[in-house]
Amino acid sequence: MTVNGKNQVQDRLALRSRLSEMAQVPAWIEGLAGQYGIPDHIQLAMNLCLEEAVSNIIRHGYARDTERSIVLNFTMPREGFFVFAVEDEAPRFNPLDGPELGALNECDDPRVGGQGIRFLRRFADRLEYEPMPGGNRLLMGFSASGMAPRNS
Amino acid sequence: MAFTTEELTGGITKVTLGGRLDIDGAAAVDSQMNMIAGSRKAVLVDLRGVSYLGSMGLRALVAPARALKSRGGKMVLFGPNDFVDKVLKASGINTMIPVHYEMKSALAALE
Repeated sequence: MTVNGKNQVQDRLALRSRLSEMAQVPAWIEGLAGQYGIPDHIQLAMNLCLEEAVSNIIRHGYARDTERSIVLNFTMPREGFFVFAVEDEAPRFNPLDGPELGALNECDDPRVGGQGIRFLRRFADRLEYEPMPGGNRLLMGFSASGMAPRNS
Repeated sequence: MAFTTEELTGGITKVTLGGRLDIDGAAAVDSQMNMIAGSRKAVLVDLRGVSYLGSMGLRALVAPARALKSRGGKMVLFGPNDFVDKVLKASGINTMIPVHYEMKSALAALE
């Protein structure tokens, strides 16, 4: 998600790769909401998408190694458009590749965990993946108006 | 995560959840939900007080619903707010566990 050539991080949350660390995310988002005027319904979407992204990194990317790092960077490149970059040092994996799992139904084994990408696609307005040296960066954009600005 | 139960007429158990059904919320209600699923036949889960639902929270609903069904019982969800409703629909859980927006229809579905 290019941002007029600038990607100045306005806030950052560093987590260890433990599910218990995820309890910090809602309060962090609430703080950002107060500072940057993020509407309530967008906060909920952000919570959901970050919960999915981070829990998948912990469970799959890091295979439950609890001493690794996950960094969440927040920027507001334009009024009403909010971007989170979720960065990890896990093996290269683009969660946006490949087909999304089908919705839950009566006949399936419980695959509730496989709903993560489905949620990202439905609740984030923009998604991009960038490989990084030694890891991954997943960018999630949220528009307060529901209409995300296009990349320049 | 708040969790209360109430026995209604007709053998229906109303479970009222309140707060965030995220990783911590799901962990807080898991064992109680599973106990209800193992001992009751008709369960109405009142979601009016649930402000947030994540995928771990979905698990806390799906597992007991399946357990109930395997015992010949039924579960319905009642009163999700707009966000929770969107999560239920996006995941497809609404095709597994009926979602009702009026108490009357929720109760009727369990009779």
